[in-house]
Amino acid sequence: MRALTWQGRQDVRIEEVPRPEVVNPTDAVIEVTATAICGSDLHLYHGRVPSMREGDVLGHEPMGRVVEVGSEVETLAEGDRVVVPFTISCGACWFCDHDLYSLCDNTNPNAELAREVMGHSPAGIFGYSHMMGGYAGGQAEYMRVPHADVGPIKIESDLTDEQVLFLSDIFPTGHMAAENADIDEYDTVAVWGCGPVGQFAIQSADLLGADRVVAIDRVPERLAMAREHGDAVTIDYEDEDVYDRLMGLTGGRGPDSCIDAVGTDAHGTGVVATSDRVKQRLKLEDDRPTVLREAIRCCRKGGTLSVPGVYVGRADNFPMGPLMNKAITVETGQTHVQRYLGPLLDQIESGNIDPSFVVTHDEPLEKGPELYETFNDKEDDCIKVVLRP
Amino acid sequence: MATPETAHERRRPEAPREESGRVTGTLGQGVQFVLGTALVEYGRRQQSRRGTAVALGGGALVVRALGGPAWLKRVFTERNGGVTERAATEPAARETAVSRSITIGASPDDLYERWRDPETFAEILGHFAEVTQLDGDRFRWTVHGPYGQDIGWETHVVETEPGHLVRWETPTDAVLPNEGTVRFQPAPGDRGTVVTLSVAFDPPGGTLGSAALEQFDIAPKTVAGVALDRFKSLVESGEVPTLDGNPSGRGAGDAV
Repeated sequence: MRALTWQGRQDVRIEEVPRPEVVNPTDAVIEVTATAICGSDLHLYHGRVPSMREGDVLGHEPMGRVVEVGSEVETLAEGDRVVVPFTISCGACWFCDHDLYSLCDNTNPNAELAREVMGHSPAGIFGYSHMMGGYAGGQAEYMRVPHADVGPIKIESDLTDEQVLFLSDIFPTGHMAAENADIDEYDTVAVWGCGPVGQFAIQSADLLGADRVVAIDRVPERLAMAREHGDAVTIDYEDEDVYDRLMGLTGGRGPDSCIDAVGTDAHGTGVVATSDRVKQRLKLEDDRPTVLREAIRCCRKGGTLSVPGVYVGRADNFPMGPLMNKAITVETGQTHVQRYLGPLLDQIESGNIDPSFVVTHDEPLEKGPELYETFNDKEDDCIKVVLRP
Repeated sequence: MATPETAHERRRPEAPREESGRVTGTLGQGVQFVLGTALVEYGRRQQSRRGTAVALGGGALVVRALGGPAWLKRVFTERNGGVTERAATEPAARETAVSRSITIGASPDDLYERWRDPETFAEILGHFAEVTQLDGDRFRWTVHGPYGQDIGWETHVVETEPGHLVRWETPTDAVLPNEGTVRFQPAPGDRGTVVTLSVAFDPPGGTLGSAALEQFDIAPKTVAGVALDRFKSLVESGEVPTLDGNPSGRGAGDAV
């Protein structure tokens, strides 16, 4: 079958790879009909996530039709149309029992490697490095989905692929970010990053009752989308000082909640941002925590910092003093996608939200390599890419 | 009260750990570093011979701030440089005696029964050895070495306490004498059972063990850790997570 594979820094290719089959009795094999490129795929594209190997199949935002099920799969059958969450969860361990699906104990075959690096292993994730499981991803014609009764959600209505596809990651991720932000009436929520996760965080913050959402980015079309679809006040950080503007908007209190929807590859400006880039290039630092620093500086005392943005390793100059003295609560984690699938599908089916608004590119899988580049460079007004195998 | 975690830490032998290589710099080093990186960036932007000189000077400051070229050399020799490589460059632990724990969501009695089931026992150790039951409490273990050579031994279960403990050992004249013990202790609240696996190769008195471990690329710490992972996944989720048949540009069936 054809698949998009990682070959190294800024090098992804279409390759012919073996077609996956059912291995464990709870597996299903899905014929992928639509699959998206995630902002976090760009961290892989930049060669920033450790333990990737040449030839790894990318992709963790897929949907499709079930073509094969293992002997113990009960809820799915051949022909079912499903969206597949990016987290693989067993549904039986202590973490799954506590709705902490992305922390599942039983789905990372390379748990020992993750433990070496992080102390403990989170759940396996499709197409996201060997430390995170090594599972082939969904930017391919077919994919094997372990624990098929726990992950994939069946789509039985006639919603289009673009309307439901983002249940796989970015819609739940933005939503969990807003939920983690602990939003109250009259609250101002500031969202750094107006990529797809930022857009869904903005929408969800609004749904959860925020008085006002402030969106921060530097890409004009992304800021425009935040204004038009999210009713957000926007700040272009290249034009104005983010701290000054946020204090102006909140009477000096600062935003009650801050959401970092950027993560490890933040751009930023000034000497410290340059220093981060150099250190990262020299392998002295894994993450560029520009947004974390700014958000901690801006956040209201006793406020909440919610971090859906992906970080990969260690960051320098992390403002622990301000975080501690301002008594800021930090909420983060890979998304517990299974927790949100049902409720968010309901939101889509009832017409409260149509996630397809983020799609700017919809092309055949073969155009993947070129679209990784377009998405990375934010050219052609690219915000979200959907690929069709 | 000792939580399972703290107890686990106490029991766990200290692995030799390489310094993780952070810049723990003093103020002076910090200033040098920031100044150095700023000069590098300034010089790079000039795109001239003078700019190059400034950038090189900045680079030298950075190197100095980091404590000199020896340190830098090590950084550059770490392929891809990410966190994994840092961990992976740590010398493989070859302690001959290790003890590791995991918490599993089942009762001590159930876990004891599962461990005693020969089929389960073989699957738990499947990543490391082919284990076949000879009769009753005797098992044949075969480990495939990295160069195609095999090493094997027989073990005998020598002690059992239902719901608490199983202990096995090889005869003293085995080619690689070893012994193992698994213990089951209730965890607090709804957390199930703390399972502790202790293995020792070449029990006290010889150096044959560590040499054979090198030769057959056996890392007891990893063997025990992965065995516990496999046991837990099998009991809790009904299967061991696997990359068998996993497609990639390298073929089917991945492993790190």
